[in-house]
Amino acid sequence: MGNNVLLVDDSSTMRKIVGRSLRQAGLDFDNIYEAADGLLALEVLEKESVDIVLSDINMPNMDGISFLREKANRANMKDIPVFMISTETGDDIIGEAKALGAKGAIKKPFTPDMVNEILGPFLK
Amino acid sequence: MNIGQDMIDATTDVFSTMLMMDLVVGDPVEGKGGEILSNITSMLGLGGDIRGMLAVHCPAKVAMAITGGFLGMDVDELDEDVKDAIGEIANMVAGNLKVAFAGYDLKIELAIPTSIVGESYRVGGMLGARRVAVPFNMEDGQFLVELKYIVNS
Repeated sequence: MGNNVLLVDDSSTMRKIVGRSLRQAGLDFDNIYEAADGLLALEVLEKESVDIVLSDINMPNMDGISFLREKANRANMKDIPVFMISTETGDDIIGEAKALGAKGAIKKPFTPDMVNEILGPFLK
Repeated sequence: MNIGQDMIDATTDVFSTMLMMDLVVGDPVEGKGGEILSNITSMLGLGGDIRGMLAVHCPAKVAMAITGGFLGMDVDELDEDVKDAIGEIANMVAGNLKVAFAGYDLKIELAIPTSIVGESYRVGGMLGARRVAVPFNMEDGQFLVELKYIVNS
């Protein structure tokens, strides 16, 4: 596919599961970067070339909503697309994420097929 | 409200979706009782229209089996991966329960899960809280999902 993805989640287990789900969905990336919270995600985006971000919402230090807000203020990364992967499904919080630029959301728990259904059309 | 059934639906959905594992469900216990000998407990606080706590209690063998299923590898000690994995189970079960509570017009907020490991510990109660505990069985043993909550008036 020739793209780089950044996985943002405070759970290392969940980052591994999301990475495996991407591969099982046939969405192979050249590089999979990982960050444990929004602050660390911003550091990765400052240093690396990333094509798409998959981010949790509830995280310590900087949550997914604050990450979106901060990212939107940085010209060098504001256009990198973000999809939320979270247990949060409420219209209010997902609506806030979308208002801040998130392209969509995947609810935990998920299957590789569900990941493909959301991300596949965007990546083609 | 049928919180016991909601807990069953929330937990079996997580295991069937993420681990492709069908659980054998025990009878929900309301009030006291139903405790199991556990070596790891992951819990997270609930706020909003209710206040409470959701906890997942696992013996070591069960916790390691769940983590191994998540990671696709053998796990033979209660390490950080296990604490993290059981925390994620608690997080996803709570996320499903959040949807169920929304069906009762109760909006809840979830905290970040915390895991404790030990040989002999007890998770304290909440005074006046309603308690529902559901045992689940898998090949490697039994674990318990416990919810304590008070609906804010």
